[in-house]
Amino acid sequence: MASSDTPKRPWLLALVLAGVTAAVVVALVTSESSGTGATNVGEAGPGPAREDGVAAATPETARATATATATPARPRRCEATRSNPGGTNNYIPDAPELASLGSGFVITGLVRAARGCRPLPGVRIQVWLATETGGEQDNRASVRTDANGRYRIETAPTVPQFGEPNIHVAYADGEYRDVFIRRVVDLDDTRARVDLTLARDG
Amino acid sequence: MAERRRLAALAVPVLVLPAAIALTDAHLAAGPAALVISTLAATLAVSGLALQPLLAAVAGVRLRWHRVLGTVTFALVLAHVGGLFLVSAEDTRFALSPDGPTRARMALLATIALAVVVVLGASRARLPMSTFTWRVLHAFFAALVVILGVGHAVITDGALDGVGTPVLLLLGGAALGGIAYAAIRRAQRFPARR
Repeated sequence: MASSDTPKRPWLLALVLAGVTAAVVVALVTSESSGTGATNVGEAGPGPAREDGVAAATPETARATATATATPARPRRCEATRSNPGGTNNYIPDAPELASLGSGFVITGLVRAARGCRPLPGVRIQVWLATETGGEQDNRASVRTDANGRYRIETAPTVPQFGEPNIHVAYADGEYRDVFIRRVVDLDDTRARVDLTLARDG
Repeated sequence: MAERRRLAALAVPVLVLPAAIALTDAHLAAGPAALVISTLAATLAVSGLALQPLLAAVAGVRLRWHRVLGTVTFALVLAHVGGLFLVSAEDTRFALSPDGPTRARMALLATIALAVVVVLGASRARLPMSTFTWRVLHAFFAALVVILGVGHAVITDGALDGVGTPVLLLLGGAALGGIAYAAIRRAQRFPARR
């Protein structure tokens, strides 16, 4: 069937090559380097992790702060944190409550209610990540927020899971809407902060 | 014949060096067996991409070894993806989804382009297109495979970081140069009939 002659319609071949090239370029340009919504929240170097509850570590926190401060006369309402794609990867319910998952990397965060923006004490947060001691399915723990709505857990440093070091933080205990977050860090980071603002259904 | 012997001698470091770098990297030290096998498959696939054009350049009309290595390279890529599924099916599905990161999108596009190259190679005699058109398409999609596949490997934090990166770039450059060389050489040796 294949003919051995030169092309009868060279413009068609050129069109195919240009079209495929353009499609590839569009596919790459419209992608996000770490996956949709996977902000880098890692921090490196000495010094304490930020504990002021104001500094924005994620776009959600930034929007929440803006919303909360822009309308002082109304009841405060912080924008609820939304799950991002990939947030549920390797999630297993009811991770054991552990004091740590090793040492060398600290994950902290402030958990607040969307309504009133008040810190939420005693909320169970699950953290999981790949480290040298295990993959994401094995290396997970639950931690509860303190009286000021803060949680903190130390783990072994992250290792790349699927080409990029990343951490997962989730709330899925039923009282508020589930939130599953996948955030990325750099290999030399020693801490990361993931704040959650939880909303009730309806 | 001497040319083929030189190519065989060249194939040894091209196959061994990247694989040795990957297997001795700390990234795989505590990794599960599926990750080690998957990474090794991907590394050998990159080596295969670098050798493929040279096999075509020195081959006769039948391109037997070029076809064999092409099939093996495609199988290695599928083994790479299959191994990642065993490591974490959820992460793999996410990587292949529209929300996946750029490096995963590059890998997905490279795999599709490689499938096109394989199909073009397997069905050349049955395709209703001129020899010139077939050669241009085969070389174009092969170049896409190299650019996207090696690009995926370079921007991935994995077993070929550090010293592995210049090796990847060298193999990618050799593959692209080889595609151009093979296309010119085969066009000279086996010109399309008019």
